[in-house]
Amino acid sequence: MEQILQFVLSGLSQGGIYALVAIGYYMMWAATKAANFTHGDIFMLGAVSTVILAGLGIPLPLAMPLAILLSAAAGALIERVAVRPFNQGPSSVGWMLTTIAIGLMMESAFTATYGPLGKPLYSPLAQSPIRISGTGIYPQELLIPVVAIAIMLALEIFYQRTIVGRAMLAVAANRIAAGLMGINVNRISMIAYAMAAGIGALAGILLAPVAEASPAMGALIGLKAFVIAIVAGMSSARGVVFVALAYGVLEKMIEGFISTGARNAIGFGVMILLLLIFPNGIFGKREVVKV
Amino acid sequence: MKPHHQFWLILILGFAGLYLFRELGPTNYAIGVLTRCMILAIVAVGLNLLIGQAGLVSLGQAALYGIGAYVAAWLTLRADVPFLPAVVSGVVAAGLMGAALAYPSVRVRGVYLAVITIAFGLVFQNVLVEWVPVTGGTLGLTGIPRGEVFGVRLTRQIYFWVAAGSLAASFNIVYALTYSRYGRAMRATAQSENAASALGIDVARTRMFAFVVSASLAGLAGALYTFLNLFVNYETFTFFQSVSFLLMVIFGGIGTLLGPLVGAGILTYVPELFQDFREWQVFFYGAMLAAVMFLMPRGIVGTISKLAVWLTARPQTRDAKPWPSPAALPVTMVGGHVEGTVVAEIKRFTIRFGGLTAVNEASMSIKAGTVHGLIGPNGAGKSSLLNLMSGFYQPTSGTMQFLGAPTAGIASSHLARRGLARTFQNTELFGDMTVLENVLVGLHCQYKATLAETILRLPRFFTEERAMVGEATQLLELVGLTDYADELARNLPFGHQRRLEIARALALRPKLLLLDEPAAGLTHGEIEQLKELVQTLTAQGIAVVLVEHHVDMVMSLSHEVTVLDYGQVIASGEPAAVQYDPKVIEAYFGTGDLLVPASENERPPVVAGSA
Amino acid sequence: MAHSPTKVTRLGSKLLAGAIVVTIGATSAVAQVAQPCIGASLELAGPLAHTGLQVRLGAETAIDEINAAGGVLGQKLKFIAYDDQGEPSRAVDNGRRIGEKDNCVAMVGGFRSPNALALREPIDEMGLPWVGVISAGTRVIEWEKGVNKWMFRVSMKDRWVGPFLVDEAKARSKSGKIGLMFEATGWGQGAVPDVEAAAVAKGLPLVGKETFNIGDQDMSAQLIRMRDAGADTLIMYVVDREANQILRSMERIGYKPTIVSAWGISSQLGKTAGALTDGILVAGTFAWNGDLTPRAKKVYEAMAAKFNLQSPNDILLPSGAANAYDGIYIIAEAIKLAGAFDRDKVREAFYKVKYEGLTAKFDPAFEKAAPGAIAERHDAIKPSQYRLLAFHENVLKAVEQTPFKR
Repeated sequence: MEQILQFVLSGLSQGGIYALVAIGYYMMWAATKAANFTHGDIFMLGAVSTVILAGLGIPLPLAMPLAILLSAAAGALIERVAVRPFNQGPSSVGWMLTTIAIGLMMESAFTATYGPLGKPLYSPLAQSPIRISGTGIYPQELLIPVVAIAIMLALEIFYQRTIVGRAMLAVAANRIAAGLMGINVNRISMIAYAMAAGIGALAGILLAPVAEASPAMGALIGLKAFVIAIVAGMSSARGVVFVALAYGVLEKMIEGFISTGARNAIGFGVMILLLLIFPNGIFGKREVVKV
Repeated sequence: MKPHHQFWLILILGFAGLYLFRELGPTNYAIGVLTRCMILAIVAVGLNLLIGQAGLVSLGQAALYGIGAYVAAWLTLRADVPFLPAVVSGVVAAGLMGAALAYPSVRVRGVYLAVITIAFGLVFQNVLVEWVPVTGGTLGLTGIPRGEVFGVRLTRQIYFWVAAGSLAASFNIVYALTYSRYGRAMRATAQSENAASALGIDVARTRMFAFVVSASLAGLAGALYTFLNLFVNYETFTFFQSVSFLLMVIFGGIGTLLGPLVGAGILTYVPELFQDFREWQVFFYGAMLAAVMFLMPRGIVGTISKLAVWLTARPQTRDAKPWPSPAALPVTMVGGHVEGTVVAEIKRFTIRFGGLTAVNEASMSIKAGTVHGLIGPNGAGKSSLLNLMSGFYQPTSGTMQFLGAPTAGIASSHLARRGLARTFQNTELFGDMTVLENVLVGLHCQYKATLAETILRLPRFFTEERAMVGEATQLLELVGLTDYADELARNLPFGHQRRLEIARALALRPKLLLLDEPAAGLTHGEIEQLKELVQTLTAQGIAVVLVEHHVDMVMSLSHEVTVLDYGQVIASGEPAAVQYDPKVIEAYFGTGDLLVPASENERPPVVAGSA
Repeated sequence: MAHSPTKVTRLGSKLLAGAIVVTIGATSAVAQVAQPCIGASLELAGPLAHTGLQVRLGAETAIDEINAAGGVLGQKLKFIAYDDQGEPSRAVDNGRRIGEKDNCVAMVGGFRSPNALALREPIDEMGLPWVGVISAGTRVIEWEKGVNKWMFRVSMKDRWVGPFLVDEAKARSKSGKIGLMFEATGWGQGAVPDVEAAAVAKGLPLVGKETFNIGDQDMSAQLIRMRDAGADTLIMYVVDREANQILRSMERIGYKPTIVSAWGISSQLGKTAGALTDGILVAGTFAWNGDLTPRAKKVYEAMAAKFNLQSPNDILLPSGAANAYDGIYIIAEAIKLAGAFDRDKVREAFYKVKYEGLTAKFDPAFEKAAPGAIAERHDAIKPSQYRLLAFHENVLKAVEQTPFKR
């Protein structure tokens, strides 16, 4: 029982990180039917640049929003430079490769300058754990899924209540029609990428105090979150967050009861199966074949 | 330059270059690097078939490469299997895995498929690490002996030529497939799945075939790699390596013959130079990739050859010939159908999409040598009925007999093979293929030459290919498009696209031809020519179902007309009778006492506006 | 028309021609004099880049010293470091480049055992003396098949580290229940049999064996099992990043066993995990913190000047840097004894090198098998020369200079 509680709590925390990163993929996908494969590195950028800024003597409450802004700018730039020009035809190879290229450059530039090793980020919430009988968790970790759900709810309000949000929904539903309606589709896409990057950076900043901020921290998480977003169906923030939290818990359960080593094999195996059962993702809308 | 000239030039220059290289007395190291380069090129050549022809992106190619490597290594180390069988086993294992991996492509497309291949690659790596007794875990398998063939020990000097020969063979296979009906079928499925299956191509099998070939070549490369490096380790077969393979193809130029070879060369040798950048080398690797994507999105070979075409292009005048020219009707199309016999019998077809009943208990009987008109207001279910007949939809209930056999559960491609051809409301041509190739895709099912004959380019392949090109040319002549044979289909004017689509459908040598709004967008003159063509076809005993908003055309051509409204047949019979059926008038104009002019020469009453 | 047969014959003739060229080429290539360079395949880029730097710290400082003293046989030594990003196939390529293109007299190996293992056949084929200075995998030196002629090591060996750690754990454990945590890498997995065997030999079979992946953030699941098995002392094969996560997970579940670790843990952990590291014991060959001998002090100062180090704590792998330093000297001494830049002669001279290094007194560095004995000793540092280091006040020192000495 105690063990299961530990796995659920740790899993939700891990899943919260996946959720925050995967939400970004969903937003980018909705706007452009493409994604930024550098997103894992944007996640890293948030954490690492906070550590760097804090190292320069900037107080954390200022360093964190600065890092988020910086990442959002990077996201917008990537949309403009690496995604938009390569997202014209039906093929996804172009933007996949350009964004992978930029990711490689980002990661290696930080490895060369910041150093390959992780550095800690201070947070008052990661100093001593909350203990529940034999299990325990840092408040910082509990915060992560809470933030993920809060962001999800905020996004839903944003999509329904704001002009930019509605425009984003319109672009998601039909890019061409939205353009004909006078929506500046390119600007909306850029905003979506910037917001996605900001949320991704936030995830990195939230994780850094319990893990470490290192240049390589984003690679696998970025890939996993993309798989999660695809399996969820890229159709709603709610679906993405649900699948991400569930996947986090699933991973911990696999580690706890089956095998630590085989976690990824089993986890990804489950994902492949889910995609075979739901070819458009679990919450994705089935597209009727139009002949 | 013609593809087979390119092929031979690359092969001859390639071997000459390798021979020269060896004559220069390179160090063992240089020989080793070039050997590795050739092995990687095998993967790239195979991947080029998958991406460039079948349009499928795999980001798990490194795992297939790894399967070949591990199977060969394991067999050699643990079971003392000699070199050749070990390599063959690696190829087969990777090929089988490729087939399994292709299965999702039947249902999942684009990025979704890419994600499955990514996930597969990660699972594979995890298995390599965890399945220690077989894979050696993270330490991998070491101490693999050098291969031996017929008593000759494959030292690195000899192995160089083994790799070169394997690359040449792989290159030959991919070349031979690309420029044959197999490659055409792959390109067709990539460009329009619907049109491909309407032409009798089994899309799933074609995709699987492309996957299996590229996986087998990856497996071959993996097995060869094992006997080059004499160890295997999971870290060679990473996601990053999969990306590198993709890069080789993109760098060189997707779909070009030379591209993957150039790409593999660059990606092998450039990192060697980048060693001087030390901790910045990955950065420059990324920068190089980005630069190529920005400056040469078609890849190096693709961009240069495009430039060459642009520089040498001479303006050409092309004229559409008068059509139809019945004299050009291929002999395979002539006769053989008994007029008046029932070709297709539809009984109470119904299909529901959720709550919507698109077709409701529709029955029809279609006879050879006749035109059966199918009309109705927008949304009446005409296209749905056509899709049901051609097997694109499966009915919720009801049956159809085609040439005396039931069609329940039979895929559209199989119906097409039996002689059921169709066109599409929005023309679905293979835009990036030439006009001639479009028709050749239609002839896909008529080919008899086997895969082996095709790959080895045995005589039957050539005679058959010539015959098919002849037949396709005749069909183009029939619709007056011979001058456009080598033009890309998407460059044709709209009216010509319609003609091409009909010629392509006729390549199936159909017994039943379904035309979905063939006159939409045509000029008055073109419509007259189209009518003439339809009459030519029915004269050969072909049954035609004509869905058309252009009612006067339907009325003048049809022997029988069926009218649909809200999915139901509201009238059926001879054109004259149907035309004045009150239910038909009501369906088009709503109730009311609107009187309609009754002269036969005037536009008939049921004009719902041509599309 | 059927071009396949013609191609086959052409290929055959090419093959034949190739074979002829090869045999001629091969005979003329024999008996070359090697260049006065020492190559290395290291992790210079990527997530393990700091490990390559540690080798460079020691090796380049040693090379500078040797060259300042006039070089070897009148020639200056060159150190050529290639990057392998920790990947075995790249390490093999680099090895070939060093042995065949640069034609160096010897090669130095880096951090990862899989790289060293992958190099076994190429090194043997090229006849290139290889000296490992970090990777401790047993099978790098002790081949399960064939005879290891060319691979030497100035570092620790897992088969000897295992008993060393078990001894220490046994002495520190109150309950006598010892567990093992190891990373799912070649190094971690490779050590398991050694540690298990040593534990059984000491009569204290392991009560738990847990693994984790590189990059994992939470090891609570494994530690809960370990705690429930009653282990009060854990032997660890872990590197800094995951060690930090393990310490945090221990804090989460309120579990505080004694930790006796192999040397994947470096000074870096003191920076990331802070006070949680206090009392962690690490096996090693050298410590740069604390009091140093005059020679070590001189070496450190040279190193600090060349690589801009702020404190000895910046030498993340203290033992690795020291091993690299000693490894280069042993190679240089062997060349002097051999009297030529000739790989065969250098290899022979290895068994005669006598040299007092930072990590140990080598007398001789390596030993040939005595007639009838089991094997040659290609590991320069003997288990009796291993040292125990401990974290105290976030700094890794020799255990004798901390309150944690036994």
